[in-house]
Amino acid sequence: MSGYELLARDLAACGRDGFTGEVRVSGSPGGAFHLHGGLVVAVESPGAPGPEALLLRSGRIGGEEWAALVRESGGARWPAAGLIAHGYAGAAQLRVVCAMSLQDAAFAVVAGSVDGCERGPAAGPPPAAVAVGEPPTRLLQEASRKLRALLALPYPVRPDRERPTPAPVSCAATRLGDLRCELLAHADGRRTARDLAFRTGRGVYTVTVEVARMLGEGLLECVDEPHPIPVLLPADGGGLGPREPATPAAPPQGPPPGPDASALPRRRPGASGINEALTPEPNGGTGWKEFFRLRNPTAR
Amino acid sequence: MDHQALAREMRGLREQVTGITDTAVAAADGLLIAADTADSIDPEGLAALAAAGLGLARRTSEATARGALHRTVAYGSHGCAAFYAVGDTALMVVLGDEGMDVERLHTATQPALRRIDLILTRKAAEGV
Repeated sequence: MSGYELLARDLAACGRDGFTGEVRVSGSPGGAFHLHGGLVVAVESPGAPGPEALLLRSGRIGGEEWAALVRESGGARWPAAGLIAHGYAGAAQLRVVCAMSLQDAAFAVVAGSVDGCERGPAAGPPPAAVAVGEPPTRLLQEASRKLRALLALPYPVRPDRERPTPAPVSCAATRLGDLRCELLAHADGRRTARDLAFRTGRGVYTVTVEVARMLGEGLLECVDEPHPIPVLLPADGGGLGPREPATPAAPPQGPPPGPDASALPRRRPGASGINEALTPEPNGGTGWKEFFRLRNPTAR
Repeated sequence: MDHQALAREMRGLREQVTGITDTAVAAADGLLIAADTADSIDPEGLAALAAAGLGLARRTSEATARGALHRTVAYGSHGCAAFYAVGDTALMVVLGDEGMDVERLHTATQPALRRIDLILTRKAAEGV
């Protein structure tokens, strides 16, 4: 039984049983299907950007703002209410992002290799769950249909296999769309279609199809040999020695108990010099009174 | 030292764990040995930061009686940077995007760290 058949059989059984919980899929990239009452409400996979990555990487919200929303929502992984309240996205947009992310992650799991599946209880509320879940069989059928369509292209590409670079002809290409310009900018011979999807904040299926088309049109090309990794150390390993111990050896004995090097650094009062700066000098130099006068020039 | 074997280990790790974007190996003092990094990363600066970060984390672990340091991981909104000690002589940096499964990375890294340590120290010992 192939990995896909195994996954299809287990998820279909979850649907029949009205299972609520998590199905963890081992493999590459693998992932986790979150189910509620036999319907898939969220899918997470290292192979596809989740809703958070889609919002952050597309620039719809900054990292600091996201962190503030997470704090505001009490540590929720998907602060949907805050995103809407602060105007970063509308409720309908978030529903679309979650649904697209679910489909995309299912595609990433199906397009990779599946080693096994394991049911388990839900570790918590599923992140970025859709309101109306997808029947698992239909979800997998749609994912495998996408994979077949991708592999039927003239230059078939796997999300985690090819690492394309811009072809020389791409420099002269004009009237390229936004996605193609971004892919040309980020394709460096090291990134797969999956990596490019994360980098650009777009779905992995969308990016993989576009990479396949661009390879077919000669805008991108795949080099046979990967970039060499230069090693700077001489072959005899010269210059490589053990790190110095963090704690010096303790003296064998000694009456004065010196500062313990392994202890936390201790701050000495007055080390900053602020007291000297603010203490009144005998000759009438700066002092606390002068400090407050500087802060509030009208004070007497 | 077998340069090709070291490069194979670094590239193999990137292909083994989905989401790894860059790797670098440096001496314990922060001198860069090898980098499989994108052009946007300064590998020498990264190696120096990794040595300083691991040193600080090791010192913190000792000062707070947390035992031997395993690794440090810096999480950002666009991914994370993991720093591992390679034996007593070197360190390895792994950068990943937000999709990388960090637990899977830690599992996959352990055998690679042992092999990289052997690659670095075997020939170094022979060359002395």
